[in-house]
Amino acid sequence: MKDAGVHLRGIKKSFGAIDVIRGVDMDIQRGQFAVFVGPSGCGKSTLLRMIAGLEDTSDGQIAIGDRDVTHEDPADRGVAMVFQSYALYPHLSVYENMAFSLRLAKRPKAEVDEKVREAAGILQLVEHLDKKPAQLSGGQRQRVAIGRAIVRAPEVFLFDEPLSNLDAELRVQMRLELARLHKALGATMIYVTHDQVEAMTLADTIFVLQGGYVQQSGAPLDLYDDPSNRFVAGFIGSPSMNFLDATVSGHGDNGVTATLTGQPDISFDIPLVDKPAHGARIALGMRPEHLQVTEGQGLRVTVDVAEELGGVSYQHGTLDGGEPVIFQQTGARHGMHGTIQTVTPDPGRIFVFDAEGDRIR
Amino acid sequence: MSIPKRRRRELRASFLMTAPFLFIFIVFFLYPTFSVIALSFTDAPLIGEGQWIGLDNYAKLLNDRLFYTSLWNNLYFVLLTVIPTTVIALLIALAVSRLKGRMQALVLTLFFLPYVLPVSVVTMIWAWMLDFQFGILQPLIAAITGKPVPVFKNPYWVMPMIAVVTIWWTNGFNVLLLIAGLRNIPPDLYEAAALDGATPWQRFWRVTWPLLWPITALVLTLQLILQLKLFDQVYLLSNGGPFNQSYVVLMQMYREAFQLNNGGYASAIAMVLFLFIVIVSVLQFQLLRIGGRK
Ligand SMILES: Nc1ncnc2c1ncn2[C@@H]1O[C@H](COP(=O)(O)OP(=O)(O)OP(=O)(O)O)[C@@H](O)[C@H]1O
Ligand SMILES: [Mg+2]
Repeated sequence: MKDAGVHLRGIKKSFGAIDVIRGVDMDIQRGQFAVFVGPSGCGKSTLLRMIAGLEDTSDGQIAIGDRDVTHEDPADRGVAMVFQSYALYPHLSVYENMAFSLRLAKRPKAEVDEKVREAAGILQLVEHLDKKPAQLSGGQRQRVAIGRAIVRAPEVFLFDEPLSNLDAELRVQMRLELARLHKALGATMIYVTHDQVEAMTLADTIFVLQGGYVQQSGAPLDLYDDPSNRFVAGFIGSPSMNFLDATVSGHGDNGVTATLTGQPDISFDIPLVDKPAHGARIALGMRPEHLQVTEGQGLRVTVDVAEELGGVSYQHGTLDGGEPVIFQQTGARHGMHGTIQTVTPDPGRIFVFDAEGDRIR
Repeated sequence: MSIPKRRRRELRASFLMTAPFLFIFIVFFLYPTFSVIALSFTDAPLIGEGQWIGLDNYAKLLNDRLFYTSLWNNLYFVLLTVIPTTVIALLIALAVSRLKGRMQALVLTLFFLPYVLPVSVVTMIWAWMLDFQFGILQPLIAAITGKPVPVFKNPYWVMPMIAVVTIWWTNGFNVLLLIAGLRNIPPDLYEAAALDGATPWQRFWRVTWPLLWPITALVLTLQLILQLKLFDQVYLLSNGGPFNQSYVVLMQMYREAFQLNNGGYASAIAMVLFLFIVIVSVLQFQLLRIGGRK
């Protein structure tokens, strides 16, 4: 089978003196759904536009399938892109918008008609083919933009935050449609998003970008269960992980004892293979969903804000030393606002990071 | 109770705010316009009363050979300026819009500069540059035609040369309008088109041109109206000559009114030109709109 994945080797990009992408390697296999996430301004769009050929590559190599496309024109790369702004041609009907690329390629009329109608069928746009983009709703416009990509039958679909202009409900619906579309077409898709849920639900592989590098890549749950550094641990998961400063205060047979900085009465025994030296400063990471309310010893949290979402609630509070902590509660309404709760992490669910932010396992 | 009161207050405020404009509009536009219409049905001199003579002025105009010559020259001038200036402005706008930041502002200013000059200065500059004996452009003309040409005294050269001067003078404004139109086209449309495989040529004809069309139509219409009102440049450069080859309708109106003291007849000429401009420009605008919709 022909390999039609996307492969980046040592990709760099600078705008003038600013290095935005500093060296990115990635392999996205044929048919995979890859998602780029990262904080605003980390270069997700830039990387996607480089793959599309809309942005020059400063250094490195981009291959689609077994072709090196680093210096090819956008049109010759076999990619289609769906823009956040949709970028529909306002003077053309929905039909002509979708037919645009085929018309440019001077395809026969029958073929154009067949392909446009097929795409319109998949996207439920058949009744809207004669309308202008201005007469459509946001979700319909988004579908036209996707239809324009489908008609070209590209090897790779690129999406730059395609759902961010839609309201919450429509976003959920379109997310499902995208997942179905990916199954139906089996094409390689690369997707940029800010939205945790989109990333976790759609992706086969997530690439977390920050500071011009890929911080970690892997299946969504692998990133959640086994983040390789503090940034990824904090970025994946919502609400994000709690980080508490601590010092190594003792060594056991298969782990260390860590004492919280500023609260010498609280310490945890953590199983570790690669034990840091006695007295080393480390950070402990605990997810809100892994903190349980307990009657016994633990972290004393003064709850000041409670976000009740119905099924779950997020209790925001501070430790005695002032460090912010969030923990999650399920089921019953607790009315914890203003109270002091003692919580303790599930054993084996504490992540340890060194002073540089690297994970210690 | 209170609602009519508020409405009355709003009406009073709106009247107070529009009053200065209304006053100036009535005194300096509406009143003269009606006076001209009334004048055109009399045999009045420029100043003073005249006799009501009905449509006589208009009948006389329809048999006036000079009027047809003038009208023809007007149309010839429109042909020489309207489309050429729009095409040139579009080319300049496309080139300028590729420049970035300061450079773009600088180049745009250079193209706009002539528009700021009063017509008398413009014609003076060109009269010098094209002077038969020492004009710096004469060597160029000599190189092409073999000998220097007194352009404003030559029946074949006079209209095209006035057209060149006019285009040079007014083009900056059109460039500005078209640049504004080009800036309104979202850049991601070009990116989408590039991904769809459009060549630069196709990008222009399938994206830029249709989206710029409303502005292009506006420029064409404004130009048509402006160029039909041609007077100053002709008056200053060739005074209608030679052999009436640059005689235009407003020139004739000017001569009848201010040199021959025929206020009534001049008013009739003005009225006919006015109607002509209204009809032609409305017609053109409608045609352009249909052209844009297909
Ligand atoms: N044309 C450009 N010229 C100069 N700098 C640019 C240009 N385009 C992007 N940048 C810079 O590159 C960095 C990355 O931009 P990019 O748009 O890729 O971020 P992003 O990760 O997509 O952010 P967001 O999530 O907000 O969309 C930003 O700091 C931005 O200022
Ligand atoms: Mg972006």
